[in-house]
Amino acid sequence: MKKKWNYINLIILSLMLGACSPNEDAAELYQQESPLQADITMPQAFSGDEPFRISLTQEGQKVDDANFVHFEIWKADGTFRLPMEEAEPAGDGTYTFNQKLNEDGLYYVKIHAGSNGSIIMPTKPFAVGELSKSDVEALNGMAPDESSHHEGHH
Amino acid sequence: MRKKSTVSPYQTIWRWHFYAGLIFAPFLLILAVTGSIYLFAPQIEQQLYTKYYEVEAQGEKIPASEQISEVKRLHPDAVITKFTPGDSPERSSEIGISTNAGTSSVFIDPYTGKSLGELNSEDRIMDKVEEFHGELMAGTVGDRIVELAASWAVVLIVTGLFLWFPRKKDKLSGVLFPRFGKGKNTLRRDLHAVPAFWITAGMLFLVMTGLPWSGLWGTNFQNIFTNSRAGYPPSIWTGEAPQSVLKTKEIAEVPWAAENLVVPESALEGYTPVSINDVVNIAEREGIDPGYTVYIPQDKQGVYTLSAFPAKAQDEVTMHLDQYSGAVLADYRFDNYGPVGKMVALGITLHTGTQFGLINQLVCLFICLGIILVVMSGFYLWLKRKPKKEMGAPKAPSILKMKFFLLLMIALGILFPLVGLSLIVVGLLDLLVIKRIPSAKKFLSAE
Repeated sequence: MKKKWNYINLIILSLMLGACSPNEDAAELYQQESPLQADITMPQAFSGDEPFRISLTQEGQKVDDANFVHFEIWKADGTFRLPMEEAEPAGDGTYTFNQKLNEDGLYYVKIHAGSNGSIIMPTKPFAVGELSKSDVEALNGMAPDESSHHEGHH
Repeated sequence: MRKKSTVSPYQTIWRWHFYAGLIFAPFLLILAVTGSIYLFAPQIEQQLYTKYYEVEAQGEKIPASEQISEVKRLHPDAVITKFTPGDSPERSSEIGISTNAGTSSVFIDPYTGKSLGELNSEDRIMDKVEEFHGELMAGTVGDRIVELAASWAVVLIVTGLFLWFPRKKDKLSGVLFPRFGKGKNTLRRDLHAVPAFWITAGMLFLVMTGLPWSGLWGTNFQNIFTNSRAGYPPSIWTGEAPQSVLKTKEIAEVPWAAENLVVPESALEGYTPVSINDVVNIAEREGIDPGYTVYIPQDKQGVYTLSAFPAKAQDEVTMHLDQYSGAVLADYRFDNYGPVGKMVALGITLHTGTQFGLINQLVCLFICLGIILVVMSGFYLWLKRKPKKEMGAPKAPSILKMKFFLLLMIALGILFPLVGLSLIVVGLLDLLVIKRIPSAKKFLSAE
């Protein structure tokens, strides 16, 4: 009788130790999104002759029929701001715009793009010429501060 | 002619009910008392923290980034972990921070941008009650004890139902109503068994809706159903959230020139995280319940998680955003849960009393008070019946002689692994210790 008891206990124990863990691919079993992805390529020089290039992909496919692709550029020190404008489709999933930037310093370019239910708004910092001390400090602060004043990090 | 079994399972089941009840009575009492209090946490916290919560609506709210800037000014060394905009115009914003001293919340008036005060997580009395309810304030050990007690509560309910089950036809007294005129002993028994029957369904419901929270049973339960498309999508209870897309290959080819200063490497890696203001705009665009919290990514591949667990399960949202592009990487609403996930989600809001508001809270309170009554009356019943020098456990044949009850206990032991594990421990204890000490054997009426 007692042997039987122990045998049963062994079964229970082994069942318990065989506990399962979350499956890495479990997300594929549920509602999935198709996030849009953008790559922004900067021109070599900012004379306005060479364009900024935005290439869009979604689910591994190039996106030629985005609902919209807008861009805005501003200077970190707040002395320059280009309001939102439309980028031109250039085929092969890319969209371009030309912009001349004269002043040295740290700039940000922000893209607003939407396609097939996904909307994105990536921001990329870039340098024109040489950065100033305050530009480097702004970079240390990481997040682009779109408001005029700057607090914290003293 | 059917062969009549000589051993009735009644005594054995009674014996099991007796010991299980005696051992787990204190824990079930704790769960019922703390549960009764925590049910009303929304109202209690509203009263306790009025000065942090309430603001006067005036004009436009200032951007989330400026509210967070104020917190950074007050706590230059703190890490900002989450942001909860008020769910109504009269409610303050709550910003979660983490410092060397622990975690706390800073409440900001979204109209003036000024702090209304801070609450250390350690000082939140309702969190303590919840911790007591969920893990007896004893971490993992406490969690396992609560799970053990809850699992054994199922055994108590099943064995109790058997003991209660009417054996004489057409007699409702002593079954559905207590018998007042049949002497004290009968009344004591009825005051345990009759109310217990009345709240059986409620007890079982609270146990079964509470177990998915537990550390061992709950985690495995969630994993099994998440992995089989029937449960919560991953990252809500178990499983990983998606990750932000890192474009490491984009590190600037030409290092940026900067007046003899070193440009931080992180800045060269391409994209800057989207601002919290963008995240708030995305929440509005996606129609997320206003009571949501934004969890701020703490590493390069982390995501912004928008999470709302409001009163009604149907309004729940868990959304993950790529921290660099703001793209929605996953958007899980109640409708996206599998059938078991939906049941568990509804079970949770019913368990905590939020799904149907006050009525819901009162029904759960009634069940809790019933559990307290049943635990107390059961204990009283034992005290009154107990002989002086023994436990007073019913003497009964071993469970090994009962085919059906044995199978039932094995099934429960597999369904609730901690029941199984505790049975193994008790079985070994019985075999190795109690059986060898005659006085212990007599005291516990062990055969």
